[in-house]
Amino acid sequence: MTLETLEPTTSTYLEMRDTTVRAVEAELARLWTAATTRIDRGDGTLVTEKGVPHARTSVLNLIATVSGEPASQHVLEVLLSLGSRHPSRAIVLQADPIAPGAALDARIQTHCHEGENGAARTCYEQLALTVRGEAARHLAGIVAPLVIHDLPTDVWWPGDPPFHDPIFDQLVEMADRVVVNSADFGDLLGGLKHLGVIRRRSGVGDIEWERLAPWQELTAQFFDAPRFRRYLPNLSRLRIKYAIGDTPAGGTRSPEAGALLYAGWIATRLAWRRARSREGNANGGMGMILEGRYEMVDIGIEPVATNDVPPGELLSVRLRAFGEAGSAEFIIDRPATEATIVTNADGMTALLRRIPLEAESEAEVLRRQLVLDQRDPLYEDALRAAAILLAAAQEAAA
Amino acid sequence: MPATSSVNPLRQGLRQERMPEPCIMVICGATGDLTLRKLGPAIYNLALGGHLPPEFTVVGFARRPMSSEKFHAHLRAGIDQFSRNRPVSESVWSAFTAGIEYQQGNLDDPEAYAALAKRLDRIDRDRGTAGNRLFYLAVQPSLTPEVVSHLGTAGLAGSSRRTSGRQGWTRVVVEKPFGFDRESAITLNRQIREVFAEEQIYRIDHYLGKETVQNLAVFRFGNGLFEPIWNRRYIDSVQITVAETVGVEGRGEFYDQTGALRDIVQNHVLQLLAVFAMEPPVEFSANDLRDEKLKVLRAVRPMSAEDIAHNTVRGQYTSGWVAGEEVPAYRAEPEVAPDSETETYVALKLGIDSWRWAGVPFFIRTGKALPARVTEIAVQFRRAPLALFGRAGAPDIDPNVLAIRVQPDEGILIRFGAKVPGPGLNIRGVNMDFRYGSSFAVDSPDAYETLLLDCMVGDSSLFTRDDELVRAWEILDPIVETWRSGDGGPLQFYAAGSWGPPAADELLTRDGREWRRP
Repeated sequence: MTLETLEPTTSTYLEMRDTTVRAVEAELARLWTAATTRIDRGDGTLVTEKGVPHARTSVLNLIATVSGEPASQHVLEVLLSLGSRHPSRAIVLQADPIAPGAALDARIQTHCHEGENGAARTCYEQLALTVRGEAARHLAGIVAPLVIHDLPTDVWWPGDPPFHDPIFDQLVEMADRVVVNSADFGDLLGGLKHLGVIRRRSGVGDIEWERLAPWQELTAQFFDAPRFRRYLPNLSRLRIKYAIGDTPAGGTRSPEAGALLYAGWIATRLAWRRARSREGNANGGMGMILEGRYEMVDIGIEPVATNDVPPGELLSVRLRAFGEAGSAEFIIDRPATEATIVTNADGMTALLRRIPLEAESEAEVLRRQLVLDQRDPLYEDALRAAAILLAAAQEAAA
Repeated sequence: MPATSSVNPLRQGLRQERMPEPCIMVICGATGDLTLRKLGPAIYNLALGGHLPPEFTVVGFARRPMSSEKFHAHLRAGIDQFSRNRPVSESVWSAFTAGIEYQQGNLDDPEAYAALAKRLDRIDRDRGTAGNRLFYLAVQPSLTPEVVSHLGTAGLAGSSRRTSGRQGWTRVVVEKPFGFDRESAITLNRQIREVFAEEQIYRIDHYLGKETVQNLAVFRFGNGLFEPIWNRRYIDSVQITVAETVGVEGRGEFYDQTGALRDIVQNHVLQLLAVFAMEPPVEFSANDLRDEKLKVLRAVRPMSAEDIAHNTVRGQYTSGWVAGEEVPAYRAEPEVAPDSETETYVALKLGIDSWRWAGVPFFIRTGKALPARVTEIAVQFRRAPLALFGRAGAPDIDPNVLAIRVQPDEGILIRFGAKVPGPGLNIRGVNMDFRYGSSFAVDSPDAYETLLLDCMVGDSSLFTRDDELVRAWEILDPIVETWRSGDGGPLQFYAAGSWGPPAADELLTRDGREWRRP
């Protein structure tokens, strides 16, 4: 079963115009009782089948903030595809302090999926709030009564979070975990630094970091084999290529985020220390020299214009080392949807394998991030290192 | 973090932190039902989840002539039918089959093992499996000693620089039954130990690989709420139920020589009992855990013939209906003696003579052709000390129950009394229900996946140690003997589709208790 193929078996829909938080709260409380559940089939109201209330299933509160109706619709669709696998009370907030009109509109949707193999039916709810005027500056007060108590609360901020806006701080304050996508940041260095100082119980999640998981796994697999592990202290060169859209306007705002986080991950795991910056190449690449255990390590990060994978996705990673038997190279190339894993070590070139490596959907990546309920020290280390590397590269470019 | 040659620093902290070393898994008896239903799907799902290293190789070893391609097709058929992840991912399957081979050989032929050894050496060279080998004995129990002996003779059992100069580890997985009584278990242990060291032997009981069983330790020792009440002061009694709806399913010959006590109680039930009742281990390590389980088994109160007559019930199903289908009587099953005295149902009342459990009865029941398939441990707590709400003539509030559901629908349920809304003081039992399926966004792995991976990474926590095994037989041998002598009371009969013979109900009702209807 893939997330994309899931369709809810039952949905209900309730629109509340110019309403109040109390009214929404009351409607949510009544939602799962048979007598008041309304199913919008165009003919008024219906109770649930057989008059039996559906059991709501929730493992967390998920608050997503968006700007504009298209973004709201997109987020709701992502959440719908998440639903049966990660049932939550999802609250999608669209706030506009300068918009005219009613202070609060609400749309409540419930969805139920039949369980497989006789498992229980899974039901969950989505709440879309449009907040206007002065109320939009006080989102925490609007959201707080609507979350399910004693469940973890994750705040997902798609796009470029307004790090310096008090609304951001208000919502982060409510969260056990904050999930962002660093590839969407307008100011990547500023964003990375800001993430580095957010302290929540379950830490910070980053969609771009989650997308690196298969790359980290493939990289680690090279060195699970003891015969290759001895090259690790002697790594001297790291080259990373990442995708940018092949049109100037295309792509995410900071497609280099993933490559920087990957470099930061390797550097912190292998205790490389910063030595100096070097100039990148003419294509907008970045270069740094770090001090490894026995070797100086030359890191190069290079963008490649392509539409074969989404912007920000890694295209290749090449690690080079010097050992007793000469140099060794460890290569992962992913031009499109398949990765080729090659080693060139101990005097032999070996094509280890080809594996499918398609870019994952946003819902799938988000789902994995939402499963986590604790801080990720690996990410926190990589984040700090990525910020240092980026600052050094920007310094060299200036 | 310093980069050392013994640890991969890039592995640490990743989701797949427990990546096994490159290894070869040799399935002895690879064309049988276990491989088709369990091992093939488990290995495929491990590969699908990225839990196996790229060098991982499977060698099917069995008597039937077959090419590697045919063996792939055999495995594929099982995965298509029994895997929890379907349909099969063709790309994963394609990469997976590159590391699957088949070696034909009679399991009683020493030459076959010599040829197997050569093949494994070749795979070590070609695929970089570094001499690491896991032998899974998916063979009839009677063949286990012979297969083990041949593995030893062929130099395949060493860990084993000392025997062959080969690098790497060797482990062997042995399926139940582990003997049929204490003496045969000791003999089997000795036969295996002549070839393998105890730390190389993984005696598998798939119940221990189930999420709920593993969660039991987390539930008890990871939460401050439950451990303080996990004792005789608060717990009235414990019921362990392993109920099957099926009959003997073509295993008539085996089952008629075995019976429910040996087939289910000796391993699954006593292991559940031990995990449930054990003291907190000093560390969450294999030997500490197994030491604690052993202490529980050692504390199970021995039963005299009189105790056995009083505290055990053995039953056998007659014809009846289960889930809308007519079921013939056990004695009418193929390969079952028409006058068979073999029990298909067992109910026991056990005591554990420990500071924690003294006076708390443990009621155990298992049977075939019962109305529902369910495995659970149900804890019944003592009633509130004062019947405060019973004064108005209302019945007593039911005691609290904590039910740990092992299968199906794994989860934990707590039942307590609550006031029914409205005028008056009506009280009824309500459930707080945790289900794995709806609380976590990840599928639970099959028990075999968990246990195979544990085995590959060398974690024997969920496997049975030889002393646990022997002690389990010491508990049950007197019961078998007493039943055989006729002093344990007559065999009771129950209709297929019922919850067992009336005598099993009486085992509880005479103490003022009753079985749960799970």
